[in-house]
Amino acid sequence: MEIFPALLSVITDPTLLFAIVLAAVVGMIVGATPGLTASAAIAMLLPITFYMSPIFALAFLYVIGKSGRYGGSIAAILFNTPGTAASAATQIDGYPLARAGKAGKAMKVATISSIIGDLMGDILLVIGVGFIAAIALKLGPPETFAIYFAAFVVIGSVIGNSIVKGLASALMGILIAMVGLDPISSEERYTFGSFELSNGIGLVPLMIGVFVLGEVFAQLETRRKATGDTKENESTADGNTLTWEEYKPCLPHAFRGGFIGAGIGVLPGLGSAIAAFISYGEGKRRAKNPEMWGKGALEGVAAPEAANNAVSGPSMAPLLTLGIPGSTIGAILLGVFLIHGIQVGPTLFLTDKELVYKLFACGMLGILAYGLIGYFGATQVARLILKIPTNVLYPLIFLTSFVAAYSARGSMFDVTVMTVAGFAGWLMRKFDFNVAAFVISFVLAKGAEETFRQSLLMSEGGALVFVERPIALAFLLVGLAAMAFRIRGIVKERRIAQGGLGDA
Amino acid sequence: MRAYAEGLVLALISIFAIWGAWQVPTASPGDTWAGIVPFSAAVALLFLSSLMLTGAARQTTGGASHAQDNSAALQIIGLFIIALIYQQSFRWFGYLLPTAIVAPLVLYFFGVRSRIGLAVSVILCPLIFHLIFFVLLGVYPPYGEVFDLLSWIQG
Repeated sequence: MEIFPALLSVITDPTLLFAIVLAAVVGMIVGATPGLTASAAIAMLLPITFYMSPIFALAFLYVIGKSGRYGGSIAAILFNTPGTAASAATQIDGYPLARAGKAGKAMKVATISSIIGDLMGDILLVIGVGFIAAIALKLGPPETFAIYFAAFVVIGSVIGNSIVKGLASALMGILIAMVGLDPISSEERYTFGSFELSNGIGLVPLMIGVFVLGEVFAQLETRRKATGDTKENESTADGNTLTWEEYKPCLPHAFRGGFIGAGIGVLPGLGSAIAAFISYGEGKRRAKNPEMWGKGALEGVAAPEAANNAVSGPSMAPLLTLGIPGSTIGAILLGVFLIHGIQVGPTLFLTDKELVYKLFACGMLGILAYGLIGYFGATQVARLILKIPTNVLYPLIFLTSFVAAYSARGSMFDVTVMTVAGFAGWLMRKFDFNVAAFVISFVLAKGAEETFRQSLLMSEGGALVFVERPIALAFLLVGLAAMAFRIRGIVKERRIAQGGLGDA
Repeated sequence: MRAYAEGLVLALISIFAIWGAWQVPTASPGDTWAGIVPFSAAVALLFLSSLMLTGAARQTTGGASHAQDNSAALQIIGLFIIALIYQQSFRWFGYLLPTAIVAPLVLYFFGVRSRIGLAVSVILCPLIFHLIFFVLLGVYPPYGEVFDLLSWIQG
């Protein structure tokens, strides 16, 4: 019920409404621009939020994240270039529709389905988050560490193509987080006598480096390999309108996608790309016209788009209730909470309940904002993106990353960290390591270490405490089971590939 | 070859991390060792690197050379060197002068060849960034130890 006063409070605050609309536009443009990601935009804008009120900063960045997920579909449908990994599923049917002169129709289906999925995710979040927080309050350090462990293993092994590289990325994130003074004993770790290193590696410069500067390096490489110009697909007069009869068959797919996305969103690390592809596969399996899927079925746009956007709200649940970010955007938002001295975790619902529900309210209004802008102006946004000269855009982003890293704490060491993190981020991308697992593990490491050592102190040094407590054991098994399933999946894929080659 | 190199680099990182964790003093009685998490993480990383090396041994070599890849990598290394010099020059010359020099350089790197555009960037880039971050947001600009253009302009 707390959501209704929060909604009223946000609606009557013109500055917050302005922030929401602005964020919806920025997110849409960023999401639709191939090569730019909502994570990069949020990381770049993070230092600016030092100078904003917590709710303004959180709402602004949260809505950019939501709108950015939707914006990816614009590029996928209109340019055949998915703006985000998740929108690659939308592209399968979206682009054939655009080629057939129905780009406007496909965009409208994508917009309505995104709104349905995103709202479903947010409603489930509002209903479930208080319940999860109440349970989380009862968890002790061993259970909390077991959840962290499960998160590390899931994030490291499920995202990306290689389990070994994913887990190695997660471990490197943990090792980088260990630099500085030990928070319990104040012993120096990996400082090598440097005063600057004793303060640890900052979250903001690391994120700006990995997501922003790393992306600029990656774009320089992509630009050299790219051939040809991106062109927009024009709509015919009939292809620009959408009737209720046309959307009606899409509705069950949008609702199913919403549930799939919301379910996957709660699990740390899985993300919207997996949700979108599962929803697409499930939708095709249950469709009345499966032969049309992949050739330009409107339902093939609705299913992945709803799932992709439904991830957004529920992915906030582990962040807010346990302090465990489920996505890179969640990890960056955790930074905003920390910047403003707000401790996330189960106690957040005791200390800052009003702020949390206001944030949810801003998210819901953000959905309406990007929905309206997208429904009536997606093609105009696409035209605007085609006019952005990328050879000017990326140098500007390059320059912004330095001043943004400096602005966070006025520290030149942070700028050095950002520069090195940028190059490391590019290297990780180039060699197929998992950047998201690296950053999320960096964020999680301190909390995991604290709960691990508290557990050891509780049990007077015995590691059996994690096995003797049933909830802790259950989460440890969840982590191991997730890894086992992933290994099984990869082995299966390899067998199919070898079989396919054998047939050829 | 690439898989070997990746495994080897990871192994070196993990050995370095194990050595670094080993430098952490032992815990006082009743406390936990501050190096326990970094040590465990480094050992786990060493295990993963050994998996990568054994995996690399089973793989067959591709053999194809990627001249285009190499030239892009060289460009990125060039841009990284510019980035390193740029961030270091903040300490020596403050924000304005290094930005005025680096802005056209990076634009050139990304394919901007218009002389007017490059010349305009020398003035506009430092001016706009200075106005947004150091005037509007009120961040204190970095002071150049050798020469600071902002101090010189302000007299």
